[in-house]
Parts: sequence; structure tokens; C-alpha cells
Amino acid sequence: MAAPLLELHGISKRFGQVVVADDLSLDVQPGDALGIVGPNGAGKTSLFGIVSGDLTPDTGQVRLGGNPITHLDAAARSRLGIGRTYQVPRPFEGMTVFENALIAAQQGGATRGRASHQLAADVLADTGILAEANRPAGQLGLLQRKRLELARALATRPRLLLLDEVAGGLTDPEVAQLVAIVQRARASGAAIIWIEHVVRALVAVVDRLVCLAGGRIIGDGVPSVVLANPAVREVFLGTEATAESFAAAGLVAGAGS
Amino acid sequence: MIWVGALVQGVLLGGLYALSACGLSLLYGVMGAINLAHGDLAIVAAYLAIIVIPILHLPGILAFVIVVPVFVVLGYVGQRTLIQATLDRGQLTTLLVSFGASIIIQNALLELSSADSHSIDVGSLVTASITVNSDISIAVLSLAIFVVAVVTLIGIELLLSRTTIGRLIRAVADDREAAQLSGTRYRHVFGIAAALAIGTVALAGLAFGMYSSFSPTSGSTRLLFAFEAVVIGGLGSLWGTLAGGIVLGVTQSIGSTIDPSYGVLAGHLVFLLVLAVRPSGIAGARQAA
Repeated sequence: MAAPLLELHGISKRFGQVVVADDLSLDVQPGDALGIVGPNGAGKTSLFGIVSGDLTPDTGQVRLGGNPITHLDAAARSRLGIGRTYQVPRPFEGMTVFENALIAAQQGGATRGRASHQLAADVLADTGILAEANRPAGQLGLLQRKRLELARALATRPRLLLLDEVAGGLTDPEVAQLVAIVQRARASGAAIIWIEHVVRALVAVVDRLVCLAGGRIIGDGVPSVVLANPAVREVFLGTEATAESFAAAGLVAGAGS
Repeated sequence: MIWVGALVQGVLLGGLYALSACGLSLLYGVMGAINLAHGDLAIVAAYLAIIVIPILHLPGILAFVIVVPVFVVLGYVGQRTLIQATLDRGQLTTLLVSFGASIIIQNALLELSSADSHSIDVGSLVTASITVNSDISIAVLSLAIFVVAVVTLIGIELLLSRTTIGRLIRAVADDREAAQLSGTRYRHVFGIAAALAIGTVALAGLAFGMYSSFSPTSGSTRLLFAFEAVVIGGLGSLWGTLAGGIVLGVTQSIGSTIDPSYGVLAGHLVFLLVLAVRPSGIAGARQAA
């Protein structure tokens, strides 16, 4: 059997007394769509940092396609096919939208010349901001920034796409537009790991859900089963908004009551 | 008419200051490194010129052919080793290490040479001038340095705005982590930016060595004037740096016309005035408007 696309093995990471990953192990197969939920401070974004190369784990190993990548920096991992968006979009503000995508196409996407321009134009068209191509990225609103963040990650031609709360702060129609983009990325063959508080958006795309709390996995499996898990509900139901979100998604009967 | 003459001399002197300041501005703008050895490196370039010119029988004006490439390589290698190592430990470390490097360079030059002043021999060019009228004559060397400064600044501006490497330099300057996520090897890009910056330091050192005499300790004043030009012009803007250099040059020139001992003082006063009234500098104020 082929090696999983991503393997995390025995990952631990702490910042002082705060544990963000506690002997955490996880496999993701090619083409998987995995959602990650958990309360604030559960270690979700830190986990992305460990996978994308922004953070170095204290112990444990990260493998991509069977090859160890723990020692590689974020640029090298991007070139190997790990794309990531930030929770708060971080475009190169002084550059145009097109230049933002072009850098990702040339560096992470390893394309040159015309091919790189074509790839940048394609991802901007796919994410619906081609019309803004010549605008400075610093002038974009939140939805457009999120689209650009996605476009830049897609321009690196990722095998594994890490999405950090792309739906946060957006209206329902805006979320639906972003979900469509993510679904297209998945259809093109990229595996997806998506951290999201907006559970409705998440379950529209993922077929596996992992719940993190205190740097540990407390639930892993089919979304409806994980969300019905008492341990997961105990972590979540303290927050009314999330409970309502579960109920609205039709995932947990009576969760909001 | 004497004031017009002072104004013209000041503008041309401003070219030298702008050339000197752009390396400082680039290093800070791209990687947040404040290089206190900036002026001393310029003086090293001038010393290197007076060493290689007799060995290779080069005309003084062509010293840049050897010295600039040496400094470009020095900039890249220096960034990938010393500067990067200090950046990884925080901005204060960069400041302290470059201060240490400044002391080491000055003392090494004193040890290897002497405290005597030198200058780069450019033959008759040093006295050549264009006479406009009885009150105004323009030194050809000053004019040439001004042109080199403007061409260098335009070149860097075009490189940053039009080329792939320029785009990468702007990206890592904006957000290093996001640039890495896009696959950019930021250390390599930092290295190229440093090569560019230190290359301009060499040009500035050569221009200064042709324009004036220098000694092992001349670097401190070069650093001070470069800082003043950058602050007056506004950090992060190359055109601001040119404007800052010209403002400093004109102020010094007019100050010297009033009284020869007022020149440098007048420059310092304008620098302090800008810091107090418009801390973001000329270009910064324009952007805010």
C-alpha cells in the first residue's frame, strides 16, 4: 500500500506551560478532505504551523509522501506541495493582486515565464478575483483578501491544502462561494485539511472530522459520528454559538436545546 | 548669484549622500537590519581601490570594475553568514554586531595602513569644471557622481518594480513568513538584497574617495550623513532617499556659504527639524497626504 500523503507521528509542542500538541499522530491519504474542529487554544493553528514548516515540533516526525520533512523550512515544504492559508489573510499589501499570485506560481508552483502568468491568471479566475488583478492587495476587503489568500495557496499547485478558517467573518452567501472554490480544489486532486468554526461550511466539503482539545485528538471519523461523541460535545457545548452551528448543520439533534 | 552656486553645489553633493544612503535604506527596508558598519565598509571600498589601482594599472575612475563586484559577493556571503545569524537573534543583535564590525574595521585599517589621509587618484578629473558664468562653475566629478547616484537609484527602482527578483525582495520585505509559504527561499532573497545594498556602498565609497580625502576613521561621518539623508527622505523610499540627500547637501552647502564652519551644523539642524516636525520624512509625508 502506498504511504499516506501526510503522516504526523508522535508530535509534541509546547510554548512554556501551554501544550499545543501532545504526542499527536495523524495520517492523511491523497485526496482526503479532513476537517479540524476544537475550542480556541486546542492547538489547531499550531498543528498547521507544524505541517507547513512555520513551527518546529519539540518531538515527533512529519512525513510527506513517506519522506521526512520535519527539518525542512516552509519554503521547501511549499515547493513539495503543501499550500496554506492564514486565518487572517496576509497578502503582500504593496503589490498587486496579480503579483501576489505570480510569486506563488513561480516559487511554490515552480512555473516560469508564460506558464507562471497563465497559472496566476487561472487561480485568480478560479477564486473570482481576476477582475481585481491590477489592484494593490492592500486595498482589498475581507472577502477578496480571503479569495486572494486561497488563490495564492492554489498557485503553489498543492498536493495538500491547509485552510485556516477561510469562512470566518463572512456572510452565508460569501461562505457558499468559498466552499465552491474549495470543492473545486478538492476535485482537482488536492487533499484538504480545513480548520473551521463554521461547521456548516466544513461538512459541505469534508468526509472526515478530527476534534482537537489540549493538543490531543479526542475524536476522529465521520463528521456526524464525531460531533455526536460525548467527549466532543462536552468540549463544544459550552459555547452556544457552536451548539447552534451544529444544530443548524443538522448534525446533532437537539444540540442547541 | 553666489547662492545659486551654493544651491547647485548642494544638489550635486546630495547625489553623493543619496548614493551613500541607499544601501542603508535597502538593508533596513528589506530585512530590518541597521548596519552601523555602513560608512566603514564604504571606506574599505575606497582603500581597496587604492590597493588594486596600481597593481592592475587601472585608471582611478575604473576602480569600480573590480571593487563593486568584490563588494557584491561580500554582501551576499556576509548576509548568508554573519547578518542572517544576527537577524535570527533579533534586531538589537544586528545593531551591536555591526557596531562591533565598525570598530574592528576602523582599527584594522589603522593597523594595515596608517592614520594618514588618502584619496583615489582620478587625474585631471578632480579639478575639471564646467564654467556657467563668473559665479557658477560645476565640478565635473561632482556632476558625474550625481549622475551615477540617480542612475543607480533608477536602476534599483526598476529592478524592484519590474523583475522577478525585485518582486521577491518586495515580498520578503512585506511578509517574510507569507513569502515562505509561497515557496520563496527568503534567505537567498535577503542575500541578493544585501549584495545589491553592499554593492551601492562600494560605489558610494569610491565616489567619496574620489571626491574627498579619507582616513580609517572617515566611516563614522559617512554613516551619520547617510542616516540623515534616509531619515530626512523617509524610510523605505528610494526617491525619498534622493530627496533627503539633496536636502542635506543643499543645507550643508548653504550653511558653508554663510560661514565655512556652519555647513555640517546646518545639516544636523535640518535633520533634527525633520525628526521633530515630520518624523516620517519627505516621502512619508507625501504618502500620508
